Amino acid sequence: MIVLSSVSKWYPNGARPALIDVSVEIGAGEFVFLVGPSGSGKSTLLRLLLREERATSGQVVVAGRDVARIADRRVPQLRRIVGCVFQDFRLLPNRTVAANVAFALDVVGRPRHVVRSVVPEVLELVGLGEKADRYPDELSGGEQQRVAIARAFVGRPRVLLADEPTGNLDPATSIEIMSLLDAVHRAGTTVIMATHNASLVDAMRRRVLELGDGALIRDEADGRYDQTVPQPLSPSATLPPVVPPPLVMLPPAVPAPRGVPAPTALPARPAGQAPDAERSPWATPTRSGPVG
Amino acid sequence: MGDTDAQWPGRLMRPGPLASLLWTGLRRNLAMTGAVIVTVTICLAMLGAGLLLRAQVHTIDGFLLDQIEVVVDLSDGITPAERSALEAEMRRDPLIAGVRYETKKQVYERFRRDFRGSPDVVAGVGPEDLPAALRLTLADPRASRDIAVTYTGLDGVEAVRDQRALLDPLYRFLDAFTVGAFTLAAVQALASFALIYTMIRISAHARRRETAIMKLVGASNATIRAPFVLESAVAGLAGGLLVAGVLVAAKVFLVDGKFARQTMFPLFGWAAVWESAVVVLAAGVLAAAVMASIALRRHLRV
Repeated sequence: MIVLSSVSKWYPNGARPALIDVSVEIGAGEFVFLVGPSGSGKSTLLRLLLREERATSGQVVVAGRDVARIADRRVPQLRRIVGCVFQDFRLLPNRTVAANVAFALDVVGRPRHVVRSVVPEVLELVGLGEKADRYPDELSGGEQQRVAIARAFVGRPRVLLADEPTGNLDPATSIEIMSLLDAVHRAGTTVIMATHNASLVDAMRRRVLELGDGALIRDEADGRYDQTVPQPLSPSATLPPVVPPPLVMLPPAVPAPRGVPAPTALPARPAGQAPDAERSPWATPTRSGPVG
Repeated sequence: MGDTDAQWPGRLMRPGPLASLLWTGLRRNLAMTGAVIVTVTICLAMLGAGLLLRAQVHTIDGFLLDQIEVVVDLSDGITPAERSALEAEMRRDPLIAGVRYETKKQVYERFRRDFRGSPDVVAGVGPEDLPAALRLTLADPRASRDIAVTYTGLDGVEAVRDQRALLDPLYRFLDAFTVGAFTLAAVQALASFALIYTMIRISAHARRRETAIMKLVGASNATIRAPFVLESAVAGLAGGLLVAGVLVAAKVFLVDGKFARQTMFPLFGWAAVWESAVVVLAAGVLAAAVMASIALRRHLRV
């Protein structure tokens, strides 16, 4: 479903690469945790999968398509295959729960009878059937995230990316969201969840990819948040045999403490400014004016 | 694997949800939309005025085609042979539709008729004082000057009087106003573009959450741009409708009501009004949509 081959990403003005020589394969229907400290490249990796950014080098393949080579006007089709939820929910405050979910179908031109039948189903699935007519600010954080998941899932994407979906939620709510994502996964969706929530990762025991300073430093099936027991890198069991295990492509290097090959030297780059802060519409408004 | 794919049929938004996006956008941006409508209206009003003035020039031309003649005064000493040679030449001239000879007596009769309101003038002129004449009707009234040049100074020709030349001041007046109206329309078009550009910028900012989500869930670029372009086109349409109303009102009250009693010239008819209204509406909608599309390239990255 997703294949990264020697993917590196430099942001303009970045002092160091956001991703270095990352190679990994994620099969259809897998559930993968993406862990690593802030700034380790998790979000960048997700953005590459959505073609919000292009890799500086290497190849990103999603659902059989080389993402960098998709024509700009075809990018929307990629994004219908790859759904996404975020830490900050990103709901439209002036629309009801049902309207937020329906929006995702409306704007891709789904017919009205589909919207009318699918939206209540999905809201039922995420447990918000009763709150379809509420507005986002009348909901708890966990409920808002459920709406966001419903919106991402309603178009039946083949991949769901979740960027720290529990980052703003209390532990109990986080578990609810986790089980909802698990349900989405069981429905056949490939799920990639970037998270800092150690207890969730430890409880689920799914495949864990760990990034450190832009490099893939761990790929462990049934992994934990922190690797306690040193263990060799295990290529995913779902890899077809003809494809060499991706991490073999990492340069052999200095002895790595966890038995994982580490990248050799960082490519030097002239000192520049810090990477641009993400200019998100949800960012705190700056001089550009009041929030609409 | 998932049983659905990205290959469902419809790719643009349905009209209903699109209209609701458009409506919220217009409401949120009311003051700005109002400002755009005002400038677009002024611009289109100038355009419409220019078109009607041009229609008026054409109407007068059409009238003159029937009415205006070039009069060639013949010298008293012209021989019949010279006269028939001159007439033959004129009949061969493609610019001349017809030639009619008037004797001195006929010219005097016409003079008395034309000036019957001024007996003093008539009293001072006798039948022998006026020259015999050839009256030419023209294939094209605008060619009168060429004819004057061709026949002035020929044997037996005393003078060529071009009646259309008398109307030159009127034509200059109408032309000047037409040019002025079109120039103002162009200036207002620039102002409208500046305003639409700003409107799109504000609108893109106000809608940035919506557009971000649209991108995220895979809306096509056309879908993301549509509400913006439509917002501008609606402003253009509103301006166009206002101006169409003004044109109709101008025809009813100003042209038919007032000028009709003050001038002997025919005035443009309803066909010219409808024609101008259609042009103004189309120009308003299309130009506003195009301007918005240009502004979007700058303010909305999709």
